[in-house]
Amino acid sequence: MTWLPETAPGATPFDQALGLCPDLRADLAAFQDLFWTLRPVDPIVLELCRLRVAQILGCDAELARRSAPAVAAGLTEEKIAALDDWRVSGAFSDLERAALRVAETFVLDPHGMSDADVGAVSARLGPAGTVALVEALAFFDGFTRFRLILGVGAPGAAR
Amino acid sequence: MSTTPRLPSPPAPVGGASDAINRSVLAYQPELLRAFVRVYGTLWSHGVVDQATKEVARLRNARTTDCRYCRNVRFAGARAAGLSEGLAAQIAEGFEESELSEHHKAVIRYADVFLTDPTRLGDAQRAEMLRCFTPSQIVELTAGLALFMGFSKIAVVLGQEPEQMPTTVVPTPTRPA
Repeated sequence: MTWLPETAPGATPFDQALGLCPDLRADLAAFQDLFWTLRPVDPIVLELCRLRVAQILGCDAELARRSAPAVAAGLTEEKIAALDDWRVSGAFSDLERAALRVAETFVLDPHGMSDADVGAVSARLGPAGTVALVEALAFFDGFTRFRLILGVGAPGAAR
Repeated sequence: MSTTPRLPSPPAPVGGASDAINRSVLAYQPELLRAFVRVYGTLWSHGVVDQATKEVARLRNARTTDCRYCRNVRFAGARAAGLSEGLAAQIAEGFEESELSEHHKAVIRYADVFLTDPTRLGDAQRAEMLRCFTPSQIVELTAGLALFMGFSKIAVVLGQEPEQMPTTVVPTPTRPA
């Protein structure tokens, strides 16, 4: 539950908090939607990264929701359940492993990112896809922290 | 840390973005870049928090995330609002004993929790933030921190930091029409 003494109308606690800055909320929503509508990266890869970021940061709200494009593309709960073990599980493709390695390093130790880490992603996604992936990671990392620090962690509608 | 770009330069600039962003690898995704430029312009030029306070948050992130580009850039609006280079230099270790205002010290403490473990914001710090800022201002500052941190990390992981860079004042981001 949020510690903010007031919020704005909105579908979820996250939207209600961000709704105190309506122009910013609208522009952020438009930015975020592009990751799922333009599909610069496979939505399953994106969703796995979003969920891994949530695991690392300990955000139950982000873990509880599912992005509709990823589910529509075939992401299963069985695969999500294996996410903790992505290094050894046979459920993940080479691209998914490469993206998850970058996601973890992005959150925990960006200066520890190696040429090989980025190279493994760019070899599969190209420069444009790699840029899209790290922009999505920036959003996931930043706005998962936003949820946690403001206490707007209740599950929101899947986007 | 790598100051060697990990991706080749993009083929074409994107209209409406600053020169620095245009030259960056973000231009590989023109639609995402345009949307980000709009978000950033809204944050900086249509917000409810004064620019000096947002600059304090941005610079605290820049030092903590250790992005050389972000550390050395200063936004003109914050400079005009009174955040001198002398004050900016105090957004560092020992800031508690600095000449920074109590509001700005509260922002630094808040940024430090955001950047390390955002689950650990305690009651005393919540109360401090509510004494210093309105709920709208707190939301804007928090969204700003999310963007500052995220895009600093992009510069770091993609090797977009310059080898050397002097302190450089640049125009405050504005929202494209």
